[in-house]
Amino acid sequence: MLKHLRNRLISSLLSLAALIVIVFFLSRLTGDPSALYLPLDASIESRENFREINGLNDPLIVQFSSFAKDIVQFDFGKSLRTSRPALEMVLEAFIWTLQLALITIALVILVATVIGSLAAFNVGGLFDRVATVVSLIGASAPDFWIAIVGILIFSIGFGWLPTSGTGSLLHWVLPVAILFIRPFGLITQVVRNSMIAALHAPYTKTARAKGAGPRRIIFGHSLRNAALPIVTVMGDQAAGMLNGAVIVETIFGFPGVGKLMIDSILMRDFSVILASIVVTAIAILLMNILIDLSYAALDPRTRA
Amino acid sequence: MSFTLHRGLVAALLLGCSFPAYAQDERRVKIVLGEEAQLIDPCMASRSDVGRVVLQNISETLTVLDPRSADLRPRLAMSWTQVDDDTWQFKLREGVKFSDGTAFDAKDVAHSIARTTSGAINCEIGVKYFGGLDISTDVIDPQTIEITTNPAQPILPVLMSTMTIVPEETAMDEHTRSPVGTGPYIFDEWKAGQSISLSRNPSYWGETPEVEGATYLFRSDRSVAALMVENGEADIVPNIAVQDATNTDTDFAYPNSETFFLRIDTQVAPLNDRRVREALNLAIDREAFKGSILSSEVVSATQIVPPTTIGSNDNLTPYPYDPEKARSLIEEARADGVPVDTPIKLIGRTGIFPNGTEVMEAMQAMLSDAGFKVDLNMYDVAEWENFYTKPFAEDRSPQIIQLQHDNAKGDPVFSMFFKYHSDGLQSVLEDDEVDRLIDEATVATGETRADLWKQLFARLHDDIISDIVMFHMVGYTRVSERLDFEPSIATNSELQLAEISFR
Amino acid sequence: MQHSTPELVPEHITPPSTMALLRRNPAALAAAMLLFVLVLAALFVAPILVDAASSTDLRGRNAPPFDFGRNWLFVLGADALGRPILPRIIVAAQNTLLIAGCSVVFALGVGSGLGLIAGYVGGTISQILMRVADIIMSFPSLLLAVIVLYMLEPSIFNLVIVLTITRIPVYLRTTRAEVMEIRKRMFVQASAVMGASHLRIILTHILPIVLPTLMTIATLEFAFVVLAESSLSFLGIGIQPPDITWGMMVAQGKPYLTQAWWLSFWPGLAIILTTLSLALLSNWMRLAFDPAQRWRLEL
Repeated sequence: MLKHLRNRLISSLLSLAALIVIVFFLSRLTGDPSALYLPLDASIESRENFREINGLNDPLIVQFSSFAKDIVQFDFGKSLRTSRPALEMVLEAFIWTLQLALITIALVILVATVIGSLAAFNVGGLFDRVATVVSLIGASAPDFWIAIVGILIFSIGFGWLPTSGTGSLLHWVLPVAILFIRPFGLITQVVRNSMIAALHAPYTKTARAKGAGPRRIIFGHSLRNAALPIVTVMGDQAAGMLNGAVIVETIFGFPGVGKLMIDSILMRDFSVILASIVVTAIAILLMNILIDLSYAALDPRTRA
Repeated sequence: MSFTLHRGLVAALLLGCSFPAYAQDERRVKIVLGEEAQLIDPCMASRSDVGRVVLQNISETLTVLDPRSADLRPRLAMSWTQVDDDTWQFKLREGVKFSDGTAFDAKDVAHSIARTTSGAINCEIGVKYFGGLDISTDVIDPQTIEITTNPAQPILPVLMSTMTIVPEETAMDEHTRSPVGTGPYIFDEWKAGQSISLSRNPSYWGETPEVEGATYLFRSDRSVAALMVENGEADIVPNIAVQDATNTDTDFAYPNSETFFLRIDTQVAPLNDRRVREALNLAIDREAFKGSILSSEVVSATQIVPPTTIGSNDNLTPYPYDPEKARSLIEEARADGVPVDTPIKLIGRTGIFPNGTEVMEAMQAMLSDAGFKVDLNMYDVAEWENFYTKPFAEDRSPQIIQLQHDNAKGDPVFSMFFKYHSDGLQSVLEDDEVDRLIDEATVATGETRADLWKQLFARLHDDIISDIVMFHMVGYTRVSERLDFEPSIATNSELQLAEISFR
Repeated sequence: MQHSTPELVPEHITPPSTMALLRRNPAALAAAMLLFVLVLAALFVAPILVDAASSTDLRGRNAPPFDFGRNWLFVLGADALGRPILPRIIVAAQNTLLIAGCSVVFALGVGSGLGLIAGYVGGTISQILMRVADIIMSFPSLLLAVIVLYMLEPSIFNLVIVLTITRIPVYLRTTRAEVMEIRKRMFVQASAVMGASHLRIILTHILPIVLPTLMTIATLEFAFVVLAESSLSFLGIGIQPPDITWGMMVAQGKPYLTQAWWLSFWPGLAIILTTLSLALLSNWMRLAFDPAQRWRLEL
């Protein structure tokens, strides 16, 4: 087990290193930032000067080697936009996104498990049909569209919630709700389908024959067996949540890492692009390791 | 993570969970900007996002230009005189203090000029307004400074309206994150990604303004930002889209000193033929844009500077919408062997102004109707800039490129050289007459100057037809009904809190 | 919620024929028909409507839907430039289905191919492939798309490449997991012992079991790709006018939500109906082809 974990960590580090190299070169192929940072009327000399100051004139490989030297000390350099250390900016923003994601994931697991199980318990019934259609519609509507409609209804129409921003607990409601919708639709379906399978597995029948009540059947027997696929899909969704976070944070003016990433790509702010991708990649890799571990806990057979 | 969450929880409970807690401080205002100002350094104040926070609120300038009347007024300078061709002397205001307590004098001015133009930190004001200018200062006494430029700069006092003054202690080689200035407001706090706040400067030299402080928020989605005023979460939202400006009580249109035009690449066939360029202009139904995807208050333009600019030529008339004539001009050109069927590349810039993409789609349709073959291509700024600035590709296809130009400085000199002189970085023209007019106007003064600019505009619009000049644009700003504030042409680059009062 | 005793779904439906089975399920039937009509429209109706879809009329902009006094093309209203929405949706269906279809098919082909290799061969190759998948997965797909679309032009072809790359790991991981499990089963071991070639084992034993799972994923992925494309349009980075997709139409209509809801509603509805149909169909397919409902089908 420990050996497995160690191998996993080492290979994850290799993945990370490869990712850094790829992103470093990819991002630098997206164009010269001097056009974005200087006024359009800037002279050729000012542009030259800008590139010189920011070390963009060196050959790529030289830039990379100096960057590689710094990065082993966790120094990603300074942001072109803010002149602040890139890592500091990213960590500040990452906390926000992490909170957003954790709250959303917790809610998704909770709500989707309950609704999916209930739907599975009476396949083809009214509840099942409504739950299926609603969750699928939620999962297939463009999230930015739902977000604006949500603001129009709940902030402007009813006046219950602030439109955007941060500050109180209420500011979290809409962003979490929007981020919640897509994974909720998928996970509900996954829970429903795995529960159907589990409910008809031999051990469930045995339990039923022994006279176990519906609640005991769901929570005592079936759910535990359905947990494996839920964990798998949830892991995939959690990584994908960053995509949703980009949209949600853009619309709600939420100071998270998704918006920071997209802004720094738009502004060719290379050090921030790298720092944010490395930080989120570490989070995702760690999560994948956790998922692997939980596999082992849930299903001893997968222990390699 | 739990810490912040915990804090958020407590705050929510304290502010009252039952209803959104927009605790409006009675005498403070909330302003929603489109993007977070990334560098609140006074020397970056020519960027509109920085300028709206810093300019004349935190940092002041020696002179101020009233863009409504093009009058130059004193601010930190009391008066100025031209000593000789290339030297100006400024007399400074006495008794002014920076917010850090130090006194304001000529040494601060000298330091600010040196810092802004040094190039060590790429100050935008230096690059934008002082590029190509050798500038030196001579401190005569604490209240007198002489500024010398090479080449001579007849409108140096106007240029000084862009130069923000910082104390001489400000680092030369590093951007500041907590700006110090002489203005009516002090920089308070910057919560990264969330807000910037200012409060009133108790020791300000001038009149005490009504607004006690301001909080700047950032929302890139402008329709959400506009809704914030409706929901009582904000007071001023500059730069909303025309379709969001639906409430006449709160939404103000104002000329924003921007001019929307398209540069025709006069060097490449078929666009090197004047008839083709005239046909392009005649094919556009300018009136159809007004009150539809653009505001009904945009003004058809004939030149790329606002009408209040010195030397603006009122005698020029916009090209009418005449697709018939456009077609016959195309046929005429075709008969002379001009390759009018070559596909023309229409190059747009995403996010250039609200509905900028839709405008390009409509123009493409109009040009196609007149018989042109037009391919629309939308690019982001960095890519678009490759088409816009020299060096141009040798074997490029005929191009028409979408531009929006801002000149709020009252003089065409800030625009014309770059865009039309054969040495200009963004110029596709190589016309001796145009070069001569620009060179002469740049050093001329008074009536002669205005007259030379007028000749230049006529040459460009009527003789050469170098552009498809579209509109002098308007911006919309939503202002909460509790404020007494009318946005003006200046709102594009600054937002003076001292001009705001409460109803 | 009151729950009754769970009904038992028959363990094995012995399907008389696929069509008969489809007829028995009205939801799946409706979904299949809708998709069929959509594909027909995109293939045969769209080319006729291209001109109508791009003819602007600024003075007739944002015309409301169901104005039967006008040409039937305007039955769903007109957009911000006065272009009729119905023909635009049909024309946009071409690009939307092309982008989503191609990226799903390519990702499915490459991902499952590599997954087969990884699962069947195992060892170092499997390790390398899995780590590559890790790299792609640890990179938010939207951001990879943005970076690549800035390097290349935001054309349909490049968008397909990006969306393909970002979706490969899903198929790779699923296929590999399935194959590893199947390989250990008795009948596969047996036929290997009996001297069947690798290709034969893969084609006759492994692929038939893996394929239904992959098809299910692919239908769900189709929805994902349509939505990803729409997100890119919202951020202003995806397909650029004059090309149109449903996602772009929703994004372009978004600023008019309060005055002209129909601009973004109809293309949004098109996205929802299409993805919903695919999801229903994939649910049904799972029932039809694989009553055992193994959990991996959900991946």
